[in-house]
Amino acid sequence: MGYFFFEKGIWFGSAAIGFAILFNVPVRTLRYIFIIGALGGLLKTLLLWLGINVIVSSLGGATLAGYMGVFAAHDKHAPPMVFSIPSVIPMVPGVFAYRMMLGLIKLSIIPDENYEKVLSETISNGLNATFILLSLALGVAIPLLVTRKESVKKAK
Amino acid sequence: MAENHSKTELKELGQTLLRIGAHLMSAGANIQRIRKTVERVAGAFGCTIDLLITNRALMITISDDEVTHFHSGLKRTLPHGVNFRVVSGISRMSWCVVDNNWTIDDVNAEIDRLIALPHYPRLLILGVVSLAGASFCRLFGGTHIDMLVAFGATFLGLFVRQESMKQNFNAYLCIFFAAFTSSLIASICVKFSAEVHDQALNACVLYLIPGVPFINSFSDLIHGNIMNGIVKSVHGLIIAFAIAMGLMLAMQICQLLVL
Repeated sequence: MGYFFFEKGIWFGSAAIGFAILFNVPVRTLRYIFIIGALGGLLKTLLLWLGINVIVSSLGGATLAGYMGVFAAHDKHAPPMVFSIPSVIPMVPGVFAYRMMLGLIKLSIIPDENYEKVLSETISNGLNATFILLSLALGVAIPLLVTRKESVKKAK
Repeated sequence: MAENHSKTELKELGQTLLRIGAHLMSAGANIQRIRKTVERVAGAFGCTIDLLITNRALMITISDDEVTHFHSGLKRTLPHGVNFRVVSGISRMSWCVVDNNWTIDDVNAEIDRLIALPHYPRLLILGVVSLAGASFCRLFGGTHIDMLVAFGATFLGLFVRQESMKQNFNAYLCIFFAAFTSSLIASICVKFSAEVHDQALNACVLYLIPGVPFINSFSDLIHGNIMNGIVKSVHGLIIAFAIAMGLMLAMQICQLLVL
């Protein structure tokens, strides 16, 4: 269990780095993005493993990423979004979105006896994907909403 | 400084502020950040501004404190491409303006420098993003062979996207091409090899997901910039639709869709 758990952290971190490079972040922020992505993903995995709903788990992981983004922003003098957005993208509900798309494609073709089963599965997958995305966005925004600061850097 | 701005100074400052805003917008900053940054720079020069931000254009009215002069300007934003190096650089610059009393020329020179900053080398981008695709595949429970397929599919898909961007195709069409290429490669592997599983197929298009538009859309919405939020989420939905179309076409060609 422990080995697979930490292995997952490495993959979460690598996925975060991939998006960071795609978004052209400054080089000095890469190390933090790896750590934030890995820890956020691990918190989500841990919460899932404790039997908590996938939406709440994602919110937990994203909130951790959001808070760590603020701390990293102080250290490296870059906006928090530079850290938190690449870090939460590995938590994006790829499988749910994929199944929802497949379901929609199936639904758009002539109905058969399985129609209702496909319909309910598609709705469930789609709602899961939507709410996970919303909770990721909320998690990134929470630190700034709670501290009610317009900028994380203090004016001199 | 600058209690009484001349007309030309106000005009220059207005154009510079519009430049800052337009670059932030196209680099993928949210509305709140654009507004704060532009207001901060304007404040450092002792001017008050009113700013209207839309996705494709910015409008500004700038005046000095006694309202002896004012200047209005409109600027189209550049084509969108997420670039956090510019967001970060402009954010740092705005504090330098406040702390070090920069002139308008300094600001313009710094913007020019930030825009000209190089991206990561192309091969590095391709390699690391493909590694991210493989990581996704592993997170979904794929085997090592699935990861290899996801790596290859992402690599070629991203290459196709970069090439079609260079040919100035429509941005959504580029995403469609990329999604089609990636999922076609993965579909062929899934179809003709029992060793490759579905995980490879659903990880290989994930590098295209509109994460930045959706997250920015949400943060605009909760700050009350409803219009900008709606525009960004529709933009994200069109990207998702383009990915779905590419995926569907590839799976139809390989007859993987069980209907």
